Amino acid sequence: MEKSVNAIMPGLCARVVVAEGDQVSKGQEVAVINCMKTEIQVNSEYDGVVTKVISKEWDEMQVGDPMVMLEVEE
Amino acid sequence: MLKIINGGIETLVEDWPGRLGYLGKGMSASGAFDNVGLGLANVLVGNPSGEAGLEITGGFLEAEFDGDHVIAMGGSDMQPTINGQPVPLWESIKVGAGVVIKFLHIGPTGFRCYLAVAGGVDVPAYLGSKSTCIFGSYGGFQGRALVEGDEVLFGEPSADLAALAGRKLKEGAVPQLTNELVLRAIPGPNTCPDYVTEEGMDLLFERVSKIQHTSNRSAYRLEELPDSFFARADGGVGGSHPSNIIDHAYAIRGALNICGNTPILLIADGPTLGGYMCALNVINADLWKVGQGAPGRDFMRFELSNQDEAIAARKEQKELLSEASLA
Repeated sequence: MEKSVNAIMPGLCARVVVAEGDQVSKGQEVAVINCMKTEIQVNSEYDGVVTKVISKEWDEMQVGDPMVMLEVEE
Repeated sequence: MLKIINGGIETLVEDWPGRLGYLGKGMSASGAFDNVGLGLANVLVGNPSGEAGLEITGGFLEAEFDGDHVIAMGGSDMQPTINGQPVPLWESIKVGAGVVIKFLHIGPTGFRCYLAVAGGVDVPAYLGSKSTCIFGSYGGFQGRALVEGDEVLFGEPSADLAALAGRKLKEGAVPQLTNELVLRAIPGPNTCPDYVTEEGMDLLFERVSKIQHTSNRSAYRLEELPDSFFARADGGVGGSHPSNIIDHAYAIRGALNICGNTPILLIADGPTLGGYMCALNVINADLWKVGQGAPGRDFMRFELSNQDEAIAARKEQKELLSEASLA
């Protein structure tokens, strides 16, 4: 089942710290958003494998925008 | 007591009007960024409107109560839940030991949610205020944002908890949050013709500007102004850029500083002096709206005001933040 890891704050994508094919665990940091002159960690809500990295540095993010796609076991 | 499970993006102890009287020492007032949200939540739980509560910025606070309390929330709707069940903003609710309160992300409008607890947050007042100055690392809860494991204490409620629970606001008392903040403002002290062209001031009051993602409790940054905004070619003895002037005190909260071509609204934890011109001041009664502007999402527009309107609006807000607003 495909799931997305979404932006939790508006701001700019500072970086995505995973790559396609990476195994990620629930709670693991997958991306960072820059807002309020600080860096905000975006963590995965699932265990899964990264199938697609959607966001890149300086992309404008809004709450709910997908940043990374995961294949998650049902 | 409230035990923090997850402090969220940034959760601070703030009161209102904050730490007054120390601008000359370089200390800004701090205080609740949205004093209306905090004030009404306090009124609902029987506190004075300026009592200290929790300012939840960006969401994701999760915490557990260890005793009986009456709470109320106001501001951005972060879809709060109590033991997994949704609970409304703008009414007082009784909670007991073991109850877990959890906030999600910001709502479609607003950026900060306030949690008031009957009796107020019990932290030592520093220089007359319980507010946190996050950039100075003083006041509030150990001068910092709340993190996992912190235990927040509360004072004595003003009445029996049963009498304080279930209180609601009158229709019309709930603040309306929007994605375009309209802020009434008074020009000055550095305006036309000496510092800004007439067309520049017209532009400042006409345009709608996006709140930049770099905005925080110190300052809200807006989109750059064109060079034609400035009446001078340079800052003279103040510096090379026409926004430069000889260092002066900033009339915070609410001064719009022009830093290079970037307008910056100086607010809660903002700087108290500097060498940039200030083109307008937002009236005190409208400052609460700034605290609900989401950086990178919302917009801001200034509307020409005057001293009489500012005083009347302040009186009106004082009336709003009282038991007269209860249903």
